[in-house]
Amino acid sequence: MVELVIFVLLGTGAIAGALSVIFAKNPVYAAMGLLGTLFSLGVFYVVNLGHLIAAVQVIVYAGAVLTLFLFVIMMIGVDRVEDTSETIRYQRQLVIGLAAILGVTIAALVIGGEFAWVPLAVDGPIPNGTVENIAGIMFTDWLLPFEVTALLLTIGAAGAIALAYYAPGTSVEDAE
Amino acid sequence: MTFAQVLTPPSVGWIAIAPEIVLGVGAALILLFDVQYKPKRTHLGLATAAIVATAFAFAIVQYDRVQTLSQATADQAADFVATAFPFDAMIVLDANAVFGRFAMLLVTGLGLAAGWRLFERLGARAAEGLALMLLSATGFMFMASSTHLMMVFLGLEVGSIALYVLAGITRERTESDEAAIKYFLLGSVASAVFIYGVALTYAGSGSMNLLEIQGVLARNIFTRPAVLLIGIALMVVGMGFKVSAAPFHSWAPDVYQGAPGGIVGYMAAAAKIGGFAALIRILFTAFPDFISTWGPLVAGIAALSMLLGSTVALVQDDIRRMLGYSGVAHAGFILTGVVAGGAGTGEVWFYLGVYTVQLVGAFGVVAAVTGAATSGAGIDAFRGLSKRAPFLAATFTVLLLGMAGLPLTSGFVAKFGVFTEAWQAGYEWLVIVAVLASVIAFFFYLRVIVAMYMEEPVDEAVAPPGISVRASLALASLITIVIGIVPGPLLSLAGEASPL
Repeated sequence: MVELVIFVLLGTGAIAGALSVIFAKNPVYAAMGLLGTLFSLGVFYVVNLGHLIAAVQVIVYAGAVLTLFLFVIMMIGVDRVEDTSETIRYQRQLVIGLAAILGVTIAALVIGGEFAWVPLAVDGPIPNGTVENIAGIMFTDWLLPFEVTALLLTIGAAGAIALAYYAPGTSVEDAE
Repeated sequence: MTFAQVLTPPSVGWIAIAPEIVLGVGAALILLFDVQYKPKRTHLGLATAAIVATAFAFAIVQYDRVQTLSQATADQAADFVATAFPFDAMIVLDANAVFGRFAMLLVTGLGLAAGWRLFERLGARAAEGLALMLLSATGFMFMASSTHLMMVFLGLEVGSIALYVLAGITRERTESDEAAIKYFLLGSVASAVFIYGVALTYAGSGSMNLLEIQGVLARNIFTRPAVLLIGIALMVVGMGFKVSAAPFHSWAPDVYQGAPGGIVGYMAAAAKIGGFAALIRILFTAFPDFISTWGPLVAGIAALSMLLGSTVALVQDDIRRMLGYSGVAHAGFILTGVVAGGAGTGEVWFYLGVYTVQLVGAFGVVAAVTGAATSGAGIDAFRGLSKRAPFLAATFTVLLLGMAGLPLTSGFVAKFGVFTEAWQAGYEWLVIVAVLASVIAFFFYLRVIVAMYMEEPVDEAVAPPGISVRASLALASLITIVIGIVPGPLLSLAGEASPL
């Protein structure tokens, strides 16, 4: 019962926040709406025993990433009018049409009773997502994926250098 | 009791990831040496070639190990599991993974040699470019050996993100910027679609391990598998983007046209190998019993790719765009073999192997004629090429005829193989569409050959290609002809390459 109340309250909050990201005229309001959505998702993770994920969600996304967003918004300037004219004709109509088809398909599936969620393959109670448990999994079963993410970080560093290291206004053909 | 006593140590299988370790460590060493000692670019290139060769040697060792494993008896079961499914069955050491490594490393070596002029011109960025190339190869090789959807996704991201950067590495030109940002945005959407498919597959089957999914699906009968089916469809869409199958192909011609010429061949070939390797693994290992469901979906994508790729390629005046659309058609041809299910694995790998070699070679010729660091390659630059650069014209002809599937080239054997598999699987209509598309495709390949041999040369002189370019083009052409005449050994090698 408590879970249902939390889900309805924060689910509404998450959707309202997401909608405000799209519809808010002022980018600062959009960022705040995003904060609400991210925070609501964080609470969902707690309800589902994902304590570490919830903490990461709040610290990294709601904290660090959103602060970055706000910095960028402030740097560009809040009061500048943005050009929202569309260059692709009939884009809006096309999107509405496709969204309608998707909605009808999903509704048909739900009404037709085709949706069935399968319980997890693991036996017993769902383990608590504490730091200890996640660390244990991460360095045993998930060792290889954990190490492969190191490659991603290397690519990020090398890629940033590769993209930034050029002299503007020169031609690559000259460099011989 | 300390924490270490609670944990069971992970099952590490060094031999199963040896080529990937070589490439990853090699990339890191190149970056470090470049900072510390400022080596000559030629030395960096030779070091990269040596790294790829070492990884290939380890892949041969793996092939030997797989041969031994296939003769394992029942009492060696524990040993078999530890060697074949290391890291708690995150990856697998089987013939499918090893063949993927062979193809991937061959393409990396050829691409490095054929596009070497680009790295020469990158100045101080050359080391980063080479390291990114090695790292992207690592990612796509992981895709070929993953038995866990999270590993497939990580391999996909490692491979693709390095490719996004390589597409935009010549920032001096806006076309390169545009190609990179286009590839990045569309590629990110495709990755998001794929990971959503993974999430729904997890929701529908309770596992992300392909072998476990297969087990769950074999033990249970799902009367309402809608969630799972949507998951499969989204994963097919995500991989369809990576291999540039229609209707998810729109990025390919633009990116091939805008990215620096020296890297396009590797970029196109590597993404195809990685995408198809993962697609084969996901569909054949996890969902073999759902073939009646995903078969028609794949067949539809294949038919659309072949027809759209072949017809749109006809009207392209830029060779790189033409090769891009021809790549869409070839993705369709390869998917023709995928609809046959596990029986078609060998034919699909054979096609992938010979086509990607032709692709790297063809883009190598384009880079040699129109520049390794530039964008675009109008057909005008190829008029009368036979008189200005007979070697380039001859190799390009061989490679194009191979792609067209002329008898006595490897392309013919490859096409014949996948079409036979599709026919035996009951997709007669698809084979008819495929033959029709092959005939259409002949025209645009011939058009380039006619322009090279029968039209008046333009005045532009072609700079003589370097030794590495000539060697790689000669090797690619030689492979195309020799495999076309004696396909037996490669056919039997690819035939072994079915997933465990």
